[in-house]
Amino acid sequence: MSAQQLGESVKQRFGDKVISFSVPQPDQLYLTVTSDSIVPVAEYLYKDQGCRFIINSGTDRRQQRGKFLITHFFAQDKEKFYIAVHTEVDEDEPQIDSITPSVPAANWSERETRDMVGVVPTGHPDPRRLVLSDDWPEDLFPLRWDVEHGVKPPSVEGVAPERLAPPEGASVVPIGPYFPVLEEPAYFRVFVEGEEVVGADYRGFYSHRGVEKLGCSVLTYNQIPFIAERICGICGFVHSCSYCQAVERAAGIEVPPRAEYIRTIMLELERIESHTLWLGIAGHIIGFDTVLMQTWRMREPLMWLCERISGNRKTYGMNLVGGVRRDIKPEIYDDIRQVLTDIEREWQELYDAIPGDSTLMARLQGTGILPTEVARSLGAAGPTARGSGLAIDVRVDHPFAAYDRLEVTKCVYDGCDNLARTLVRLDETVDSIKIIRQALQDMPEGPIMAEIDEEIPAGCEGMSAVEAPRGEVFHWVLTGTENRPERWRVRAPTYANLQNVPPMLEGNALADVPICIGSYDPCFSCTERMEIVDVNSGQVRVYSQEEILNGDYRRQDD
Amino acid sequence: MIASKLKEAILCLRPGLVTLKYPFQPHPPEEDFRGYPEVDADKCIGCGGCAAVCPARAIMIQDIDQNTRRIVRLLERCIFCGRCADVCPEDAITMTKQFELSSDMGREDMESECQVFMATCQRCGRCYEPATPLDRIMQPGFRHDEIKRGGQDSPYEPVKPA
Repeated sequence: MSAQQLGESVKQRFGDKVISFSVPQPDQLYLTVTSDSIVPVAEYLYKDQGCRFIINSGTDRRQQRGKFLITHFFAQDKEKFYIAVHTEVDEDEPQIDSITPSVPAANWSERETRDMVGVVPTGHPDPRRLVLSDDWPEDLFPLRWDVEHGVKPPSVEGVAPERLAPPEGASVVPIGPYFPVLEEPAYFRVFVEGEEVVGADYRGFYSHRGVEKLGCSVLTYNQIPFIAERICGICGFVHSCSYCQAVERAAGIEVPPRAEYIRTIMLELERIESHTLWLGIAGHIIGFDTVLMQTWRMREPLMWLCERISGNRKTYGMNLVGGVRRDIKPEIYDDIRQVLTDIEREWQELYDAIPGDSTLMARLQGTGILPTEVARSLGAAGPTARGSGLAIDVRVDHPFAAYDRLEVTKCVYDGCDNLARTLVRLDETVDSIKIIRQALQDMPEGPIMAEIDEEIPAGCEGMSAVEAPRGEVFHWVLTGTENRPERWRVRAPTYANLQNVPPMLEGNALADVPICIGSYDPCFSCTERMEIVDVNSGQVRVYSQEEILNGDYRRQDD
Repeated sequence: MIASKLKEAILCLRPGLVTLKYPFQPHPPEEDFRGYPEVDADKCIGCGGCAAVCPARAIMIQDIDQNTRRIVRLLERCIFCGRCADVCPEDAITMTKQFELSSDMGREDMESECQVFMATCQRCGRCYEPATPLDRIMQPGFRHDEIKRGGQDSPYEPVKPA
């Protein structure tokens, strides 16, 4: 069923409840429905049509329409299009029926919309605060237009996040706030019975940076790519690329083919960089540092190559709306091929060594099982999904940049365990090298930047996804006045994958928890608190930064 | 098992020692590296294009009087993207290869300022003409008043328009 047909079918089924639908491009369907029909429409798309939930977004349009705009995004992977379901909610009664009971993957994003815009999802099964810090005022919603960027409410002492209670008889093992092996902040509370994990709870977002607010209130169109690139330190190019594509779609800008090829090559170079980095970290987590040393050594010539192409090892700063800033000069094609050949040879040697290594296999095989059904219902993305047998890959399902002209293989394994996710990444690296070789060979001549003569009109929207090393990155832009978007919504793949961690951990031994969490290549935000469980009374409390600095966390009787 | 370990051993042994003895053995950056942005104040015409495109808003512009424009660069905000060098119509800004930028001179060392004599009519013949309308200066007078040096407790007063 094409986007047009699906729009008609929804219209036919729900009649007056569907206010309008449009298909500006064959791969984008925009539906506007009444607020009381959002749950049945979401159920129809998710259960009957097999669409995948991506994220939801809240926009404050009280100035223009006197209403809040709530948008749920879905993907129809088989038919290669994205769906945005818009609903308007009255400003006097800012609430909307929660779709989480029918679409479990919407859990986090509905809570985020409540935190940031103040539209309450009614009937949400887990209405705890998600994104804002615990001492943030209840009635201050940062993404509303009348809240200034950079507002700093005074901090409050003695607040703590609401925590899930551990199951009867289970103990709590806090992992974090500084994840011991990834050297990144993350705060998991793992519930254990003896050695076995029976559940987990995650609290994060302690250093939410407010990048979306920055983009919608302070920056201009061509400044955002550089800030978007800093959303992630390892795969930043995917964000600037996805943002630029979303604006280009909204404004109808045609990107020159050479720029599309350059974007493709940079994305694939970044994927190799990220996967080699991940394999090293995974080896480090399970105590096999040889892998760490060797993969990072292999990666270094690639970093120097990227510095030569873009002017920097990471955060290439190459994307702008309409194309790229820097050309890949033909005289370095051969050097790129040489670096790829070297990496491919060593990567293959490593690949041959791994399956025979019983130490590695014992740690990877059969641990961290994420069943296919769970991965689908919680919206897993990227290698996490493909390791659980879900054949989704944006490069094939929703081709962007030059991927429609290149041969891309979906690397899918159905082992559902840590080994499957490792093999997906090992295969993808080899595939990426092939893609870059083909792109270098087919690269057309011509300009690298589109000529933009007119301003971008307000009120247009564009969706764009990019396959990042960790999974699907999704950006939605609603254009506005003053040379900047009215709303810019970002979904990073870890946002979806983190929600898969608690079910993934269940049934594992505690010793396997680090590699399970590491196996989906997380990208955490910062947290600044720690939790101490008093073993005698079982009491749990969180200490503030000041208390930790003062040493107040020591036991009273010490 | 043993075969695997042998393969791994070969993989480790073949490249030998690869760690550079930095800083005694430097690894010079590549030709087009985006390092410290050097400004040739003699070439600057005070058009303000660099301030308009800077994503980190590290460049402030202030008109002291009818004839003098003050351009302040806060290098601690700089993200080395090189957009200022791209748009400068006079090629007054170059991205150098210098990346060892730590300083023991305090915050003042991270700030540079130049004052440009502007003709009485500040708009004619000096205005910045961007390649696309997306780089246009949207608000007259720039947004310099939002930028502060240092953290929120810094005693530094933001520059107010004259």
